[in-house]
Amino acid sequence: MASGCLAKVVFSDAKHNFLIHYLAAIGLLLVSPVVFGFSGLDERLAAIPLEIISPILGIILMTPVFMPEQNENIYDVVRSKKTSHTLVCFMRILLSAFITALLVGGLSLYMRCSDSQVTARLFASALISALALGALGVFSSALGDSALIGYMVSASYLVMDMFLHSKLKRFNLFTFSDGGTQINLWLAAAAAILITAALILRKYRR
Amino acid sequence: MLFNKECKKILLSLTFWIYSILVVIMFAENYYSEAKYPISKPAKGGSDYGLMVREDPELIMEGASASLMSDFASNRYVCYPYGFYKAVSLDKEDRDKVEEYVTEITAWDHDEILKQIDSADVYYMEHGFSTFPGYEFESVNIDKNMTYERYKEIMADIDDILGGGSAYKVDTLASRYSLVPMTYEDAVKEYEDSISEDTVTGSLARLFSDYTGIDLAFIPVFAAAALVAADRRRKMTELVYSRNISSLKLTFIRYGALVAMMFIPVFLTMIAAAIQAGEVYGDEPLKMHYMFTTTTFWLLPELMVVTAVGMFLTEFFSAGFAVAAQGAWSFLSLMSCGDKLSGNITKFCLICRHNTLYDRSAFMETYNDFVFNRIFYMVLALVMVLAAAYVYHLKRGGRFNGIRLFGKGSLFRRKA
Repeated sequence: MASGCLAKVVFSDAKHNFLIHYLAAIGLLLVSPVVFGFSGLDERLAAIPLEIISPILGIILMTPVFMPEQNENIYDVVRSKKTSHTLVCFMRILLSAFITALLVGGLSLYMRCSDSQVTARLFASALISALALGALGVFSSALGDSALIGYMVSASYLVMDMFLHSKLKRFNLFTFSDGGTQINLWLAAAAAILITAALILRKYRR
Repeated sequence: MLFNKECKKILLSLTFWIYSILVVIMFAENYYSEAKYPISKPAKGGSDYGLMVREDPELIMEGASASLMSDFASNRYVCYPYGFYKAVSLDKEDRDKVEEYVTEITAWDHDEILKQIDSADVYYMEHGFSTFPGYEFESVNIDKNMTYERYKEIMADIDDILGGGSAYKVDTLASRYSLVPMTYEDAVKEYEDSISEDTVTGSLARLFSDYTGIDLAFIPVFAAAALVAADRRRKMTELVYSRNISSLKLTFIRYGALVAMMFIPVFLTMIAAAIQAGEVYGDEPLKMHYMFTTTTFWLLPELMVVTAVGMFLTEFFSAGFAVAAQGAWSFLSLMSCGDKLSGNITKFCLICRHNTLYDRSAFMETYNDFVFNRIFYMVLALVMVLAAAYVYHLKRGGRFNGIRLFGKGSLFRRKA
C-alpha cells in the first residue's frame, strides 16, 4: 500500500516536474552527432564523447531533484503529508540515476553499433562520472537551496576538469580519455557520499 | 541609492561567491602557474629552435594535395568540426565533386587517378572494430596552371563539402603543411617581437585574457540568472512592479551592478598578474598599463554580453533556459576554435584565443577583427539589456508573462 502510494508520488513528480529535463537530455543526445563523431573509434577516442556527454546528462537529470520544493508553499504542503519527504527525494534520485544509466547505455550501444570500441568498463566509467557530477549538483542544490546553484557548481566543475584534468587526480571525470583503463571507484564513492549528505541536509532543512 | 543596494544584494548572493572562487581558481591554476616561468632569449648554438609557420604556396599545395589524394582514395576524411574527432565518408555525389577538384589540381583524369591509387603504398589502420586501408602518396602532380588563389578556393569548397574542421580548412593550411624549422635568427626575432613592441606585459596580458575569457564566456550567466529570478523566488515581484521607477532604469541599474561586481574578481586577478609580472621581469622595462588596458578591452565586452544575454533569456524564458543556451554557445565557441590557439580571432567569435606568450604577429594580423569583435559585443550587450528592459516592462504591465516551462501559465503546467 505504502509502496504503491510512493510509486504514484514519484510517477506524478516525473510527469509534472521532471519531464522537461528528460526531454532536454534526449534532445542533447539527438543533437550530439552534429558535434561528435561516433563511428570507428578506438576505446580512448570513444571515451571523449562518452565522457563529455554522460556527465552533462547527469547534471541535467539529477540536479533538479529538490526543485519542486524550492517553493516554500509547496514545501509546507509536502511536509504536512504522511509520506516521508526524504524518501520521496531518494526515490526521485534513484529514478534520475536510472534514466541517466538508460541514456548513457543507449549512447554506448549506439556507438558500439557504429563500430566504436565501447567496452563494458568504459560504459561503467562514463556512468560513474555522470552519477558523480549529478550527485555534486544534488548536493550543491541542497546546500544552496536552489537548483541554479546545483547547476552552477556541477557545470563549473565540468569546465574546470576540462582544463585541469590531471590536477584533479582521483576526482578527474575523464578517466579513459586521459589514457586510464580502470574504473574510478573514488568517483562512485564520492557520488554515494554526496547523495547521502544531500538527503541528510534536506531532512534537517528548516 | 539603488545601485549600491543591488551591489550589496549581489555581494550577499551565493552565486557571486561561487563565481569569484572559480575565477580565482582558474587564474591560479592556468595563468599564474604558466606565467611564473620567464620567457628568455634563445641561446646561440642550440640544435633545435622549434618550428615556425611560413606560408609557402608550393609547400602547401604539395602537402595538402598528397593528403587529399590519400583521403580521397580511402574515402575517409578526419575532421574536427567542433574540436572533436569525426571521420567523414562521402556519398557518391560529393565524392564525384571532390574528384573533379582532384582532377583540376593534378591534371589527372579519372583513369589516371585510379592508376595512381593502385600504385600507391597501402597500409591498414584499425579504427574501433574495423580496419581501413590507408594510401600513401609520396608526391602528387600539381597542374602548372594552378594558382595559389584558386587552390585556396578549391580547399575551401572541399572543407565545406566535409562539413568544416577538415585538414583543408584554408585558415590552417599554412600551419598544417608549411612548417619549417626555425633558425637561431628566427628564434631571436620571435623573442624580440614578443618583448620589444609592447614589452613582455603585452604578451602576458594576451595570455591572461585568453585564459580568463574562457571562464567569462559561461560562469557569469548564473549570477545574472539568479539576480533576475530572485524577485520571483522571494515573492517580491508585485512589490517591485509597483515601485515608482522606470523598467529601463531598474534593468540598467541591475545590469550595471552585476557587471561592476563581477568585474571586481577579474580586476583583482589582473592586479595579481601585474605584481607577478613585476617580480618575474623586474630587470626589464615594462609597460604595466597593458596588464589593465588590453585585458579590460578584451574581457569587459565578453562579461557584458554574457550577463546581458543571461538577463534577457531569464526574463523572457527562465533561468534554466538561459543557462542551457549560454552553456551551448560558450561550449561551441570554445571547441570550434580548438584547432588554432594563437591569433584565433574572428569578427564574431565569443571567445578570442591567443594562448601563447609569443606569436605577436598572429595577433596583430587579426587586430582589426579583434577591435570590431569587442565593440560588436559591447553594442550587442546594450541591445540585449534594452530588450530585457522591454520584456520586464511588458511583464510589469501584465501584457506578457514570459515563456515559462513550469508554474502558472507555463508550457508544462503543474496540476493542482
